[in-house]
Amino acid sequence: MQFRNQKQPEKMEPQMAPMIDVVFLLLIFFMCTLRIISQEGDFNINMPAVAQAQTETPKLLPDFKIRLLADVETGQLVEIRFGQRSLGTGPRAFLLLQQTIKEQIAGSPYADEIEIEIDADFDLNYEHVISAVSACTGEVTGATTEGGRRTISRFVEKIKFAPPRQSQRPPVGG
Amino acid sequence: MRFKKTELTHVEVDMTPMIDIVFQLIAFFMVISNFEQTQADERVRLPTDVLAQPPTVKPAHELVLNVGFVRDPDHGIPKQGPIVFHNSQFCRITETDSPHQVLIYNRSTGQNQTVETVPFAYRLEQEKRLFFDRGVSPAEEVTVIIRADTHVPTGLVQKLIQMSQETFTGSDGSSQEGFAKFALKAEMATDDRAFQPRGN
Repeated sequence: MQFRNQKQPEKMEPQMAPMIDVVFLLLIFFMCTLRIISQEGDFNINMPAVAQAQTETPKLLPDFKIRLLADVETGQLVEIRFGQRSLGTGPRAFLLLQQTIKEQIAGSPYADEIEIEIDADFDLNYEHVISAVSACTGEVTGATTEGGRRTISRFVEKIKFAPPRQSQRPPVGG
Repeated sequence: MRFKKTELTHVEVDMTPMIDIVFQLIAFFMVISNFEQTQADERVRLPTDVLAQPPTVKPAHELVLNVGFVRDPDHGIPKQGPIVFHNSQFCRITETDSPHQVLIYNRSTGQNQTVETVPFAYRLEQEKRLFFDRGVSPAEEVTVIIRADTHVPTGLVQKLIQMSQETFTGSDGSSQEGFAKFALKAEMATDDRAFQPRGN
């Protein structure tokens, strides 16, 4: 049976405007909260307390000793010593340290046993210690990156710190 | 002369491609937003290094120690030395028990204000005991992540390590070993130049 005035079903269109508003708000939120942070990496150090460390088996090789001397006022690096040998200062000295350790370790059957002790002045800026740890542990073998990672060859795994020295800076009140 | 009347047509803009692009942008920002480094502290300017690589395996238990400075825009690094920012408290790397007052630059007011600092040795002991009470061995299962500023004196970082290593008395009265595993954090250098100091 046919009816007169039968209405055609209306085409329902979803309201896009509120959704677009919300989407733009989300976009602005993520854009504003974005902080461009460089990725962080770490250097692992296994340093048990002295009493615990002494119970370990005696080592086959003596430790390598790195001495880092600082300027008392600024905390900048003044000299790097590998044993008794002075390697100078600055990025070149760290490269020389890296090469020296690499040469000493090359072909040694006890490379895994070698431990490096870093003995730094109290007032030395921490960034130089990180550079020293980096120079002692490995090197970048290829400039190309694989998924954001560099190709790295590690030659020493064991790093430890000598007991802290006394600060040479005058104490500051307040 | 007669003109043919044209009816005004309602032009509808096709929104679909724009919404597609906006959704893609949102997805992009959501992916690159760094929600993981929540314990990172902006008052700590980490040293940069080419060999610093993100760990492949995340440690099961970790304790993050942020050591840095509240820098004053006019005077730079404050003279009273670095501070450990721990659970929104200012701590000093010292063994003495007494609290200490320091002047800290307040960014919102732009002036220095006196803040009471807590000796960090006491906080560290609490952390060790907390891990122990949860059945986690501080010496074997916990990694102490040290995020120290480039200008922190090395001796203070060494002191912090020493304080972390110290034995403590567990809640059952037994003497327990302190932390033994440490990870020194550094920012990944963006270029391949090795051993470049970061500067101020």
